[in-house]
Amino acid sequence: MRLTSIGRQLLMTIALPVILLALWWVVSADNTSPFWPSLQKILQAFPDTWTSDRVMEDIVPSLARLALGYALALLVGVGLGTVIGLSRPVRAFLEPALEFLRAIPPPVIIPVIALFVGYSGWTSKIIAIALGCLWPILLNTVEGVRGLDEVLVDTARSYRFRRPTYLYQVVLRGSSPQVATGARQALSIGVIMMVISELFAADNGLGAAIVQAQRAFAIPEMWTGIILLGVIGFLLSLIFRLAEWRALAWYRGLRRSERGT
Amino acid sequence: MTTVATAPERRRRRLSGSTAALGILGLFTIGALLEVLPRIGVLNRRFFPPSSEILTTLIEQLGEGAFWTAVSDTLRGWAIGLTIAMVLGIAVGVIIGSVPFLRDVTSSTIEFLRPIPSVALIPLVVLLYGTKLQSALILIVYAAFWQVLVQVLYGVADVDPVVRDTARSYRFSRWTQLRQVVWPTALPYVMTGFRLAAAVALILQVTAELVIGVPGLGRNLGVAQSSGAVSLTYALVVAVGIIGIAINLFARALERRILNWHPSVRRDVAR
Amino acid sequence: MSMSPFRFSRRAGLAAVATLALTLTACGGDGETTDTASPTTDATTSDEATDDAEAPAETVDLTVGVIPILDVAPIYLGVQEGFFEEEGINLTLELAQGGAAIIPGVVSGQFQFGFSNTISLLLAQDNNLGLKAIANGAQSTDDPMEDFGAVVVPGDSDIQDLTDLEGKRIGVNTLNNIQTTTINQLVREAGGDPSTITYVELPFPDIVQAVANRDVDAGQLVEPFRTLSLNAGDRNLGSNLAGVVDNMEVAMYFTSQAYADENPDIVERFTRAINKSLQYADENPVAAREILGTYTNIDPAVAEAAVLPRWPGEINRDTVQLLAELAVGDGLISAVPDLDVLLP
Repeated sequence: MRLTSIGRQLLMTIALPVILLALWWVVSADNTSPFWPSLQKILQAFPDTWTSDRVMEDIVPSLARLALGYALALLVGVGLGTVIGLSRPVRAFLEPALEFLRAIPPPVIIPVIALFVGYSGWTSKIIAIALGCLWPILLNTVEGVRGLDEVLVDTARSYRFRRPTYLYQVVLRGSSPQVATGARQALSIGVIMMVISELFAADNGLGAAIVQAQRAFAIPEMWTGIILLGVIGFLLSLIFRLAEWRALAWYRGLRRSERGT
Repeated sequence: MTTVATAPERRRRRLSGSTAALGILGLFTIGALLEVLPRIGVLNRRFFPPSSEILTTLIEQLGEGAFWTAVSDTLRGWAIGLTIAMVLGIAVGVIIGSVPFLRDVTSSTIEFLRPIPSVALIPLVVLLYGTKLQSALILIVYAAFWQVLVQVLYGVADVDPVVRDTARSYRFSRWTQLRQVVWPTALPYVMTGFRLAAAVALILQVTAELVIGVPGLGRNLGVAQSSGAVSLTYALVVAVGIIGIAINLFARALERRILNWHPSVRRDVAR
Repeated sequence: MSMSPFRFSRRAGLAAVATLALTLTACGGDGETTDTASPTTDATTSDEATDDAEAPAETVDLTVGVIPILDVAPIYLGVQEGFFEEEGINLTLELAQGGAAIIPGVVSGQFQFGFSNTISLLLAQDNNLGLKAIANGAQSTDDPMEDFGAVVVPGDSDIQDLTDLEGKRIGVNTLNNIQTTTINQLVREAGGDPSTITYVELPFPDIVQAVANRDVDAGQLVEPFRTLSLNAGDRNLGSNLAGVVDNMEVAMYFTSQAYADENPDIVERFTRAINKSLQYADENPVAAREILGTYTNIDPAVAEAAVLPRWPGEINRDTVQLLAELAVGDGLISAVPDLDVLLP
């Protein structure tokens, strides 16, 4: 019984991707355009482009910067978001300013960041990634805090929960499903910002490698970079799912008990 | 339902007045900060002029026809891209979310495609459509679609099981279930998705204009940058920011109207 | 319930369908003539006879991909002076942000012609993209201190000459392209080792900022940033373009080999018109400076002081050969491409 359900799960996971890949292989095989190399050529370019040295030089720094920027965004986003969500006047004060900052396209923000911390090194890139990731986390935290179950809030108040307990057990836990949504989106935005931040003053990084391959018209290599980016994004989201699974176990349990199963 | 009494009505109007005032105060604070910092040298004045200078340049721009053409180009691309993303996102999300088989089969593909950044698509898009609007649209739709899709999937999955079972025992048709049960549950998520997608769409539209050269404010920004016209560059950035605020206000107003039955909105009104 | 979500959904549905319909027409249609920066030409002379003995049979609509920089002033001047009209060409100039969008645009046919720097063209040729340069775009002057490109350092920097660049960080607009190869050559010629240099890729305005903040030790700039930077007190170490060789072929106008094979007549007409425009711009610098204001936001005072590139009506072939050899030396391309194929 268990074997077939695992087998079924596996089939579900790989069925569609396999079909799509096969389609890509067939359609691109006869392509003459230099910008759409055949899948075969792309796959052949993989081992030459991404040697273990290259991986250490480019991928590891990129991921490290992403991790740091993301962590920063989580901290600031959840903290600030809780404060904003709980207080109407603070929300009113900050919201237009935040919307203003958020609408500014990333390629423009980076020079401004650089005015403070310079271009080179990790700092400006980490800040750029953090700023990009901040918005979904912030927004969703605010939403989550605003949408807290009425009954829970009132119960906490009538039981006179102390502030820290209230904040942790009611507000944070209550808004965590929504925060998780935001954190999830922030991950994909983080990957985007990782690439964009490496367009400036980057001497290493996956994003930098892709752009340079494009500039040098090394198209199969460029494609390998893009695919690698997708794979990394996929793996990261898997890791995220795992973390979410454990952190929100209580939420699932709650839903399940409501369901009566 | 009962009609709203006059006292809450007045309170609501007063609340919105003070909300606006606070918001303006927030913006003003940033403006004041950016006026002072370049002047005292914390920010190098050559590369970041004081906000008064930036605003003057912006006001001059308001008199230029080319500026307004660019604004309308940007807004047009944004609107079209956003609409496509919303329609596709909601349709695909509801369908996938409601059919467990589809959800299982597509989940790995979604998880793989979603994190691919739209910036990686720029070289491709440039080949297909160059600097035409379609380039920007593809980038926008690709990015905003996932935002909406994820939200819709969450929303559909969050249906209260009691309500769903009640609907089923009353033998609601599939379509009625969708309308009366799934849709209202998903709607708050959809509205959050709309707000996020609206912001993402603007950022990508302007980025496409800036990086590729699709017509619009972003392109004007790029030309200003390539010309070393620092004040104009930031004036256009401010213009983009103002559009961002306007879009957010629009999204929030829309959300309030549509979700006026939801606790989060009701609580704000009642307070 | 006063405002039900369902009433909205019906309205939203209608709105969505309407917008979708609008969108499909937008996608299907030919799109806008994005003419924002090209000077207006008068109504196309379809069958009007021109003074020219070989009056062109019909007007053809062409699109050229250009970057909003100083270098392309001649083509704008040419449109203004009617040189393209005389050849029966109705020209649309499309501003793209960087050569990266132009070469693919020419290959895919969005642009019939484009403007790009020589090394990018060599790179493309090395990757068999099938391009054909048809005219000069911009050349350096013959004076390294008065050229439209320059390597600058902060005014009080201890970098005094090119050998001091060893082991330093230099900001350039594009890695592994014309700026890096020429700077490498300069340092080599001065007896230094270019492999010790760290190049940092930044857009031009950011290079100015990075030099000012000592984020980089030196920067490679072209006009108008060269003038802006020198005005602010930075020191000019000399041009990496004119410094390597006089009248270096820095950029060219090109088309795809496929287009050239199919439309030799149009290419010929375009080439005549652009060469005329180049010579006109070369001989009328005042007019060239003036036209900058129509497609860029360069400050008029800066436009006045900027050093203009040279715009002769022919390609300096030897310097293209030199650039190709330097590119091979730096490992950018595998071999010097057949210049008879690439050049006219």
